Amino acid sequence: MAKPKVAFYWCASCGGCEEAVVDLAENILKVVAAVEIVLWPVAMDFKIKDVEALQDGEIAVSFINGGIRTSEQEHVAKLLRKKSGLVVAFGACAHLGGVPGLANFYNRDKIFEYVYHKSPSVVNPEKITPKESTMVEQGELTLPKFYDTVYPLDKVIDVDYYLPGCAPPPDLIMTAVEAILAGNLPAKGTVLAPDKSLCDTCQRKITKPEKSVIKELKRVHEVLLDPERCFLDQGIICLGPATRDGCGERCINANMPCRGCFGPTSRVEDQGAKFLSALASIMDANDEAAIIKLTDSIVDPAGMFYFYSLPASMLGRRIDPDIE
Amino acid sequence: MKLRIGVYICSCGTNISENLDIDELARVSSSLDTVTYVKVHNLLCSEEGKNYLAEDILKEKPDRAVIAACTPKEHEKTFRNVLQKAGLNPYLFQMVNIREQIAWVTSDKTAATDKAKSAIRMAVRRVALHEPLEKKEIDCNTDALVIGAGPAGMEAALLLAKAGRKVSLVEKNAFIGGRVARYEEVFPKMECASCMLEPIMDEILHDENIELLSCSEVQEVLGFVGNFVVQIKKNAGFVDKDKCLGCGACYDVCPVKIKNEFDYNLSERHAIYVPYVGALPNVPVIDKKNCLRFKGENCTLCKESCMFDAINYDDKDELLERNVGGIIAATGFELFDPSVLPQYGYGRIPEVYTSLEFERLLSQTGPTGGKLLMKNSKEPESVAIIHCVGSRDKNFKEYCSSVCCMYALKFARLIEKHSPSVKVYDIYADWCVPGKDNQAFLNSVREWENIKFLHTSLPMNAEIQQKGDAITVSCTDINGKKNELSCGMVVLCPAMLPSKDNMRLSELLQITKDQDGFFAEGHTKLAPVSTNIDGIYIAGCSQGPKDIQNSVAQGAAAAGQVLASLVPGRKLELDVMTAEIDGKACAECMICLNLCPYKAIVLDREKKVAVVNTVLCKGCGTCVAACPSESANSRHFTTQQIFAEIEEALK
Amino acid sequence: MCNWCSYAGADAAGSARKTYPPNISVIRVMCTGRIDPQFVLKAFQSGADGVLILGCHPGDCHYKEGNYKALRRFHLLRRMLGQLGIDEGRFRLDWVSASEADKFVATVHDMVKTVKALGPLHKITAPSSLGTKGKGSGAFQEMGNG
Repeated sequence: MAKPKVAFYWCASCGGCEEAVVDLAENILKVVAAVEIVLWPVAMDFKIKDVEALQDGEIAVSFINGGIRTSEQEHVAKLLRKKSGLVVAFGACAHLGGVPGLANFYNRDKIFEYVYHKSPSVVNPEKITPKESTMVEQGELTLPKFYDTVYPLDKVIDVDYYLPGCAPPPDLIMTAVEAILAGNLPAKGTVLAPDKSLCDTCQRKITKPEKSVIKELKRVHEVLLDPERCFLDQGIICLGPATRDGCGERCINANMPCRGCFGPTSRVEDQGAKFLSALASIMDANDEAAIIKLTDSIVDPAGMFYFYSLPASMLGRRIDPDIE
Repeated sequence: MKLRIGVYICSCGTNISENLDIDELARVSSSLDTVTYVKVHNLLCSEEGKNYLAEDILKEKPDRAVIAACTPKEHEKTFRNVLQKAGLNPYLFQMVNIREQIAWVTSDKTAATDKAKSAIRMAVRRVALHEPLEKKEIDCNTDALVIGAGPAGMEAALLLAKAGRKVSLVEKNAFIGGRVARYEEVFPKMECASCMLEPIMDEILHDENIELLSCSEVQEVLGFVGNFVVQIKKNAGFVDKDKCLGCGACYDVCPVKIKNEFDYNLSERHAIYVPYVGALPNVPVIDKKNCLRFKGENCTLCKESCMFDAINYDDKDELLERNVGGIIAATGFELFDPSVLPQYGYGRIPEVYTSLEFERLLSQTGPTGGKLLMKNSKEPESVAIIHCVGSRDKNFKEYCSSVCCMYALKFARLIEKHSPSVKVYDIYADWCVPGKDNQAFLNSVREWENIKFLHTSLPMNAEIQQKGDAITVSCTDINGKKNELSCGMVVLCPAMLPSKDNMRLSELLQITKDQDGFFAEGHTKLAPVSTNIDGIYIAGCSQGPKDIQNSVAQGAAAAGQVLASLVPGRKLELDVMTAEIDGKACAECMICLNLCPYKAIVLDREKKVAVVNTVLCKGCGTCVAACPSESANSRHFTTQQIFAEIEEALK
Repeated sequence: MCNWCSYAGADAAGSARKTYPPNISVIRVMCTGRIDPQFVLKAFQSGADGVLILGCHPGDCHYKEGNYKALRRFHLLRRMLGQLGIDEGRFRLDWVSASEADKFVATVHDMVKTVKALGPLHKITAPSSLGTKGKGSGAFQEMGNG
């Protein structure tokens, strides 16, 4: 029997998800032995036209990581969708928009202005800005269109499953790949991780008092972090309660609070909003002045609560009258 | 299968119909593809209207109903009842307010009609997501626990017992009667306090339904209204109450003499003792801390003196468990400690007393047998009484302690009666003498020629110094003039504070306290004896400073609450629109736990989830909004239902 | 609006026949403590130009403390909305008791006036080239949502 065809593609991402596949270590040999990879730009020499040449649905499953923020990424995502039986949104960026999604506080013009003109390390006296096409001697050269907004994969194509995490942990990937190969999959649209929040398996849960209140909030560089106590109990913002479980608490075990990369549980529509609600609810302040003092101590609520999920949030981006 | 949604529009006579276009509303609503039918009626809340509604529901058998009419606060209940009788679950229904919030407030008829169209669309979309909710009932225990055997607690216990309920009356002291047991007479009628209490205390001791647990304290309270389990520690008294006749032979032979705290250390008692002559129950107890035998010596003097073999050195502390349906906390008060205010000389100058100490001096069962004597056994020439010590003072207690003016007058009257040559100086800031008889009492005391009144301003500014054998009291009067007087004895009226037990009990019972430590009532006017916890009530000075009359009234009120809410044979009906936590989804993050003012969320440590106790849940939804993993949801106000309303509103 | 104070206050305005602009849509909840920030975002996502929350005065909450929780969430959410390009004036929390019909009407008038001055909230719609699941396709409607 022919081995199932598999594709890996990256969009607006950091490359960490490709590394995650490599992190499967010896398990990767099992994967490679069981499948035929038809596209993996970082590791293999297949071209887009090779994919175009395939039949619709011929690829058993495409793992697409990274958010969609250029026309090329959109194009390839749609192409892979057409040619694949299953599409898995691989990693936080494809699932939620990820860290690149924080660009949604700005638009293309503002980003280009900073990156190409205003950044302290840029020398660009002629104020040259990239364009989508330019004429050279041999003809026209084009670049993909750079969108104002980063989108999670499912705003562009139909997604069958999501593998959450920045990057998805090796054991989660193996479980998903094995399930796919065995045809043993849950309902379409499922995020392939437990549907409870992180506190469920966090080792610091036993240090949580039943009466949790926030009297003061501190940032991770302002205090010595106790390696055993619940972060929220220490007055440190930890998105664990609003984040799906399954990562093995790798950040927490490294004495850093959770930043929410697995996204929310299935019942939540907006991770940042739910976390905001939980945090504000347990603040130990009833009069406006005290409340405002506490809320002002959070330097960047939107950036912190939507660290990975801004594009997938209900508003999706900062509302910007300069955008069409 | 598609849901059949029926829409009824009431024109409320002309109230609604004259301000919006009912026909247009009906037409547009029936064109919605989710609506099965639309019917218009003139007055749905009338008898005829209700009958029409019931018959129509029976005929059409819709899966859901939407009624566009007046405010739900007026007739939601009415229509729910009609629907239930007609066979439709009353929660598969949504009411739309097109009168108070649309027809009556929108000047333009077209705009009003448009707003009503939107409102009906919102309701239609929401109602499709409703679940049929069933009312639940649970069994309840109708017995009660009363904490504190002072006037409030005793009144509550007697009423409950009379109604046939079993009452466990827990009292930390060895005697009942509370503070009143220390008084000689009570205002304004100058009744003998012990004569007044005697019949009540007698009933308490002999009523079959009352179990008096003296020398006892509540250790733990588990459960909830109708189903409390209370753990009580009964301290060993070492004297068997069934054998003891109260003859007193045992305390006469006890070699130990120590200060008697009942008399505020103004007299002495033995290690085996009753706090005062006439204390009830008339059974002595052994003070383990000071008894020679318990300190290691082999003294058996008391046991040898007892002809009834009532003394048992092997008595042990007991841990008792009681099941009750309701709890009444009537733990009384204590006084503000004036030694915090050095200018009053309390604790420094021997003849400066607090009012409770002075009560003992005036009492026949007290250290002087009721004679007004100083510590040198001489009668003072004059006594100064100072009001508002610590009360009505922003630095200490801002409130007025309610009873001091009256008892100051009582003291004056008692001195007039028993030591008429003693002069009295009454230093006051205002007169607080509300009620039927109190002003008349003030007027009559004023007529005594041996009393002089000194009117000062607030806060009380008296300064007390020892000058040789006498005491000088200086203070500025209301006109700003400095006054100085010399007297033999000073009586301070300190602020009334809640009993120290309130701290511990409020945690045990999970009832809230106010900023001064008094138990917080449910509502200042309308719920004076309820608390934030169902089934737990408060009475007497534990709730706030008050006199005996009002304490007794509150004791009766609390008993009334228990009698009304926990009725034998009747089950407790539970709120329907409660929150629920999905046990499969909850990760035990515990963010919700502390948010519930009714303590309705508990942790199931075994299953590692939080659980909502639907008996206590009032359905506010605060926990639901806070849950970061959306494991909690609100029956009838689910996130999806509200999302549907919002989305539809903005189309 | 919460069921106990503010909804009753709005009803009182109705009984007194006081008029106010029709462009508010009312969502009734039992307590402002039920108001999830997601509701506010859903309103803006669906096309609201402003969101108004009305509840019982602090200390008067029918459920004791729900309005305090609402107040805490409100302040943090308003700040975060500011970061997301939603002007502070578009999101408001106020207290209306059952007898304050006038305050209800005044608050609605004021909110509508403020939001009108700020103009319609610019809606981001997904570019047409992108797929089916673009959210936030509400119309430009000027509506306060209570």
